[in-house]
Amino acid sequence: MADFNVNLRDVGNVSIIDVKGYLDAHTAPELENVFNKLLDGKQFKVVVNFNDLKYISSAGLGVFMAYVETMRENKGDIKFSNMKESVYNIFDLLGFPILYEFYKEELEAIQKFNLQGQA
Amino acid sequence: MQTQDNNATLRNFAALVDFSNLVNSSLDINFALSNILLTCFGKFHTTKGMTVLIDDDGLLKVSAAKGINKEIINAFPKVYAQDKDSLEKIENYIKEFNFPICMQIKSSEATKGYLILGNRLTNKPYEQEDLDFLNTLLNVGATAIENSLIVEKLKKVNRNLDGKVNQLSSLFDLSKEFSGILQTETIGKLLVYSLIGQMLVSKYSVITCSENSITFLENRFDEESLRIAFKKCDSNKFVKPVSSEEMIGELKIFSDLGVDLIVPMQIKNETKGLIILGKRKNNLQYTRSDIEFVSSVGSLAIISIENARLFKETLEKQRLEKDLETARNIQKNLLPKKIPQFSNIEIAAYNSSARMVGGDYFDIVKFDQDKILIAVADVSGKGVPAALLMANLQAFLKSICKQKLPLSEATNLMNDLVAENTTLGSFITFFWGIFDNAKNEFTYVNAGHNPPLHVYNGKIDKLKKGGMILGVLPTTVPYISDTIKLNSKDTIVLFTDGITEAMNINGEEFTDENLEGLVLKAANNSSEEILESIKLAVEEYTVGAEQSDDITCLVLKVK
Repeated sequence: MADFNVNLRDVGNVSIIDVKGYLDAHTAPELENVFNKLLDGKQFKVVVNFNDLKYISSAGLGVFMAYVETMRENKGDIKFSNMKESVYNIFDLLGFPILYEFYKEELEAIQKFNLQGQA
Repeated sequence: MQTQDNNATLRNFAALVDFSNLVNSSLDINFALSNILLTCFGKFHTTKGMTVLIDDDGLLKVSAAKGINKEIINAFPKVYAQDKDSLEKIENYIKEFNFPICMQIKSSEATKGYLILGNRLTNKPYEQEDLDFLNTLLNVGATAIENSLIVEKLKKVNRNLDGKVNQLSSLFDLSKEFSGILQTETIGKLLVYSLIGQMLVSKYSVITCSENSITFLENRFDEESLRIAFKKCDSNKFVKPVSSEEMIGELKIFSDLGVDLIVPMQIKNETKGLIILGKRKNNLQYTRSDIEFVSSVGSLAIISIENARLFKETLEKQRLEKDLETARNIQKNLLPKKIPQFSNIEIAAYNSSARMVGGDYFDIVKFDQDKILIAVADVSGKGVPAALLMANLQAFLKSICKQKLPLSEATNLMNDLVAENTTLGSFITFFWGIFDNAKNEFTYVNAGHNPPLHVYNGKIDKLKKGGMILGVLPTTVPYISDTIKLNSKDTIVLFTDGITEAMNINGEEFTDENLEGLVLKAANNSSEEILESIKLAVEEYTVGAEQSDDITCLVLKVK
């Protein structure tokens, strides 16, 4: 059984979700739980750090689709960072880059939130 | 003069080598086309030029242009390379906009398109020598264009392939996951995540449908509106995928709600559910391959959903069966476990329910040293409702017995109790009698039950006296009892209609006559033997048919 791990931490007023291992139909519910926790806490600014993610299936991608609108409706967003090329290719193949912001480094994504906050 | 010619040839040659090196250094089609144009501009001192290429569908399309304004580019005729008038249309075009040069770009295999050039700034016409140069240039260029096009096509094929591989791995991922889940809600959720991740949609709905109702598993459309839409348009009508352009007529109501695709989830060609998707966020249409993917995922999901439902049903059934088993044991305990024996009479009894529990009842109660009560009853209906009423009857009988009333009075009371405690339409046919061991008398009341047979001296009397069946009305006309004298070897056979109405495979009943004949013939045997022969006869008669009613039979034999 492939391993998946998800961890939540805060940097300023931005929530960072670290995902690790294999995100597929089996493990997608764990990520979903984290997003539900964020919604409960009215935390809408989210960066997902993919540094340790090895694989993502469409069920995993679906979780982001399911929550992004709520985040945006509340002046937040889901931004992606530190993605391996193999993982990015899957996002790219399904057309995610026109709907989501991708950053090389987590910090850039956080800064983008902070800039938007000032504007 | 000779030197000048040589120089010019040399220059041309150098330009060609340069061009060839450059154009073959990249596999980017735009780079190749741009270089063809720029080389021509430099060589002929012209400022206008375009290349027209034949696309996958055979349509001629302006692929690169320099120095030409948009209107002129857009004025290029819509023409297919195969069209008979294609050349004529192109000629008209270059005449109209004053392009002196239109040359075919030809590779070894086929025409790839055309190069169109404007006038030279020097206003000199294009000489034969220029045309020769252009020809050579295009020969070199055509190969580069062809290579670039192939690479472009390969890239596209590769990406499509990647897409397919991705869809397949999603399917594999899901099928692995679905097989282990028995909660419909979880299945619905995973299905939705896969769909919206793969298709980039945020509006969706997954419904399951049974005969007349639909159930929402997941929904991001307005539920009420969708319900109304499905009221107007039955969900069972969706037997193949419906895309937005097919949502016309009565289906238009769905596209008005923002639905872009409806895919049925089917088991054995029966629509068990629907996947409803809104517009894709990347504004692309659903391709055939997308719809195939949605269908495949849907098929996987609906089988799992169906499995989950069956599993739940089986659990429920198992629980019910366990309950029934308990009820059966309780009911068995309501019937006499051991038949008491007496000095002057032998008693044999048999009872069998058509279902787990039944509505037949018999009892044998010893009053005192000499008196013994024998009762038999048939509650209307079968199964659980009949069993409940039978249990009630047993309780009434046990408590009334304690009061030691005359049998007719006891029957009045019994009827009142049953009438008070049953709902409309339930009733009980009931017979009971008291055998007096000392006097060899049998006093009985028959409340609408199949008359027991009193067999003596090769004759049969039917014990009919009594009154109406129990439970229909409170007692207004009192029941009457009758007392008969019994002699040695007299037999009384009590039974329920499960015996006389037992059916063979042709649906024909065993009948009273059959039973009477049988009893007369066996009259000299013991009560056990008579009971056995009745059981055997009924069993033989009904071979191959299902037992349709509860069966009870008692045989009393005076010693």
